[in-house]
Amino acid sequence: MSAVASHADVLHHDDHGHHKETFISKYVFSMDHKMISKQFLITGIIMGTIGMLMSLVFRLQLAYPNTTFPIFETLLGEWGKGGKLDPNFYLALITIHGTIMVFFVLTAGLSGTFSNLLIPLQVGARDMASPFLNMLSYWFFFTSSCVMIASLFVQGGPASAGWTIYPPLSALPKAIPGSGTGMTLWLVSMILFIVSSLLGGINYVATVLNMRTKGMKMTRLPLTIWAFTFTAILGILSFPVLFGGSLLLVFDRSFGTSFYLNEIPADLAGGIERVGGSPILFQHLFWFLGHPEVYIILLPALGITSEVIATNSRKPIFGYRAMIGSIMAIALLSFVVWGHHMFITGMNPFLGSVFMLGTLIIAVPSAIKTFNYLGTLWKGNLRLNPQMMFAIGLVSFFISGGLTGIFLGNAALDINLHDTYFVVAHFHLVMGSAAIFGMLCGIYHWYPKMFGRTMNESLGQIHFWMTIVSAYCVFFPMHFMGLAGVPRRYYAFTAYDQFNVFVDMNIFITYAAFLGGIAQFIFLFNFFYSMRKGKKAVQNPWESNTLEWTTPVKHLHGNWPGEIPHVYRWPYDYSVPGHEIDFIPQNTPHEGQEDPLTEPQTIPTPERKVAPTLAKEEAVLFTLVKRWLGFA
Amino acid sequence: MIILHHILSLKLKILPMKYLKIKTSFVFVLAMLLLTSLSVFAQDMNEDAVAAAKSTASNINWLIVGIAFLLVFIIGMIFDILSKVGDVQKKPVINWGKINGILSIVFIVVGLAACAWEFVVHGKLTFFNLPAASAHANEYDDMFMITLWLTGVVFVVTQILLFWYTYKYREAKGRKALFYPDNHTFEIWATIIPGIVLTVLVVRGLFVWSDMTSSRDKNAMNIEVFGYQFAWNARYAGADNKLGKYDFRQMGVVNALGVDSLKENAGDDIITSELHVPVNQPIYLHFRAKDVIHSAYLPHFRVQMNVVPGLPTNFHFTPILTTNEMRAKQDDPKFDYILLCNKICGSAHYRMKMKVIVDSKEEFEKWLKTNPALTAKGTETNNSFSFFSKTSPLAFN
Repeated sequence: MSAVASHADVLHHDDHGHHKETFISKYVFSMDHKMISKQFLITGIIMGTIGMLMSLVFRLQLAYPNTTFPIFETLLGEWGKGGKLDPNFYLALITIHGTIMVFFVLTAGLSGTFSNLLIPLQVGARDMASPFLNMLSYWFFFTSSCVMIASLFVQGGPASAGWTIYPPLSALPKAIPGSGTGMTLWLVSMILFIVSSLLGGINYVATVLNMRTKGMKMTRLPLTIWAFTFTAILGILSFPVLFGGSLLLVFDRSFGTSFYLNEIPADLAGGIERVGGSPILFQHLFWFLGHPEVYIILLPALGITSEVIATNSRKPIFGYRAMIGSIMAIALLSFVVWGHHMFITGMNPFLGSVFMLGTLIIAVPSAIKTFNYLGTLWKGNLRLNPQMMFAIGLVSFFISGGLTGIFLGNAALDINLHDTYFVVAHFHLVMGSAAIFGMLCGIYHWYPKMFGRTMNESLGQIHFWMTIVSAYCVFFPMHFMGLAGVPRRYYAFTAYDQFNVFVDMNIFITYAAFLGGIAQFIFLFNFFYSMRKGKKAVQNPWESNTLEWTTPVKHLHGNWPGEIPHVYRWPYDYSVPGHEIDFIPQNTPHEGQEDPLTEPQTIPTPERKVAPTLAKEEAVLFTLVKRWLGFA
Repeated sequence: MIILHHILSLKLKILPMKYLKIKTSFVFVLAMLLLTSLSVFAQDMNEDAVAAAKSTASNINWLIVGIAFLLVFIIGMIFDILSKVGDVQKKPVINWGKINGILSIVFIVVGLAACAWEFVVHGKLTFFNLPAASAHANEYDDMFMITLWLTGVVFVVTQILLFWYTYKYREAKGRKALFYPDNHTFEIWATIIPGIVLTVLVVRGLFVWSDMTSSRDKNAMNIEVFGYQFAWNARYAGADNKLGKYDFRQMGVVNALGVDSLKENAGDDIITSELHVPVNQPIYLHFRAKDVIHSAYLPHFRVQMNVVPGLPTNFHFTPILTTNEMRAKQDDPKFDYILLCNKICGSAHYRMKMKVIVDSKEEFEKWLKTNPALTAKGTETNNSFSFFSKTSPLAFN
């Protein structure tokens, strides 16, 4: 490992002599991971703004189904004729909103930004294992975003079969106009996206495993890196399945095959009768990615939060190893639970019970994570800056949304909750809001590292409070709509008498959504304004332990001006008893420690006195369990 | 402009002026100008709003959007200045640590109160407030309530702890955080307790799930529910209680459902556009779609199953309350059960529904007679050989 690091050193120094930076090589086709992370972030923010504006448009429609909004005609042209949103375009909006938010913002925007920025900086590497692949990864993502945006302007409109694009709806252009060119572009965009995500993922894993600096053992990695690594592994293992699935769908759509189609008469399917496939097959392939995807979104957010909460509590993260264990458990289990999206597709009920078991088991590592966050906050010295507030907000959403997951993961309960607003509320809280909060938390925290300036604190706080209030006001009432049987993806609820009682609630939700929208504009203002005018950052503004804060504020290719620092301790030595200052950076040796690899104390245990009694209690517990199981 | 500058400078005398000279006051002036210009905009907006009200019912125009952006900008500028003032004073103008602590408490108190209010007010609108309409609904509701109580307790406790800690342990000068990286006993219990709770939920859930999906009454009445863009049909098996075969190539040719009346068991099938079911009679619904995936959702009966083209699915349930009984219990003479589409299926997805009526057995029998069977022969058999004659004392004729 150290050999690799020094090898990289040599390479870097060789590079330095004849490396000339032009505008294009510095800002456009950059191979510097820090620039690439900024590119990911800004593309992600632009896509996120588009996705958010879309949600405001359909929120208006849901709140005022009988009102005409001339603005729709101005903005959307044919799709908003006479100020009325076209039902097909409503479906297109929710589809593209979902796609953009899930893939472009919370996968590429979150993982792409922070994995790129933090992996080399926190493990102590000059750059990614392959800077070239890294650059390609961004440009595939960029192309993919362009294709997705372009699909908004084609004949028939963009894809409108929901972000899960279940065939036959997505396979038959006759079924919905969006399944024409729009869907083709959606699939092309997704294939490009998957390429980008795989290039990135391979790079992240390779960097973490091979390019850690001397002394950076796996057990000294910050939790961010653990989370990013497992995210990358999840992506590498699951995205190819969607790739395959999408290709088969391309065949079904364009070449007359029947992978996903059965008993479709010729007049519906472009003149060729389709027999022998299975629409459920696509759902299996899709959710084999789709469920790990949820954790691809959530794990980086949780990793970022772990780091931010520890730093700003001035306290080591509680249960470091348990946190790693739960990340691993979540990652592993996420591969065996995809069927819980399909309980009522007609899947064998026995299969349903297996998936239900797996799903509810995931709640255990999630609960451990939550308790550990609370444990970290307990008796801390909390610096309630914006990133800390966003981290706390994430924990709050993770609890609220996670608990409703216990309802939906229960196959029996899912029968009546499937595809209702209860689901919308659940995943927007646990995956949408929580992950967005993780992302915002990361932006506020690492903004000084990215741009050399800090964002305005007060605006950040206002942004936080407006966003958390808006998010809860939008999504909490939706649970009750779901429990009254209101289905999601409905253009209007006017056709049902019993859903009319929710008119007021829908209006309220729309107001809350607009509040959230305004808050995001405050954030955007803060983000772009601070880039030039923000307060100049110092090297370690948050008094954090991790290695990225040992690099100079001004970016340079290769990250550290001299040698890469060696690592002597784990990243969470905050408020260590007996130390004047409440943080000890990872590159500070222990007293008398010369070899970074030796460990004077693996992970400091709190009080020596407590340990033996704990062991005794454990022993008693395990003997009881053993006896109960009949072993003793 | 200059006057404004002077006024501002006077006001700002309390602050150390040498740092706040040109740049900051310029920004202030800009902010003030924007603020004053707002009133102009406001007037414009009023006129505009009148015009808008005349032509359409719209209450949104570009001006509001512009003003919103402007507001964001102004707020941004104000806080930028405050932060600069703070840098000068070497002490932040707004002590967010304290404010956030207090806001956290306000948030959790108001939040939980709002949550309770929601349960009281909107909880009434959920289907748990209605009497159970099918035999398995009680079991379902019990499962739901158990989960709700368990998760509810965890929700309240953890959220209170989270925001309470935020308040209690906010930064105080001179206090040092407790170095407390691990506690194995706590970790073990934090694993075991959720483990036990979830085991309870899983085991009970598995029983409910298998009850709901695997129970089959041999005497159940077979009904096919057929979904297509954008409506539903029901097909009754007729006297033999066997659904006739269909051919997807014949859909729309022979009849909408592609059932050839000459085929085996098909003659006595009855196709309707409303779903009537007799009360207390086990029903075995078979689902079939023509074009894309739909989902047949009957919220009052806790029944839902996807309707997939080329893949037969089914659901077994027993309605226990007739429509009339339900209307009486709810005191709502307009109430009707519904079957609605719950899987995105196209432009009119949002109004793809079928009325469901639970009749008493006599009424059901009467209603079914008004609908013709596919062939006259079928109708004859329908009259002479009743489904109910085998399974219940009540016969068709």
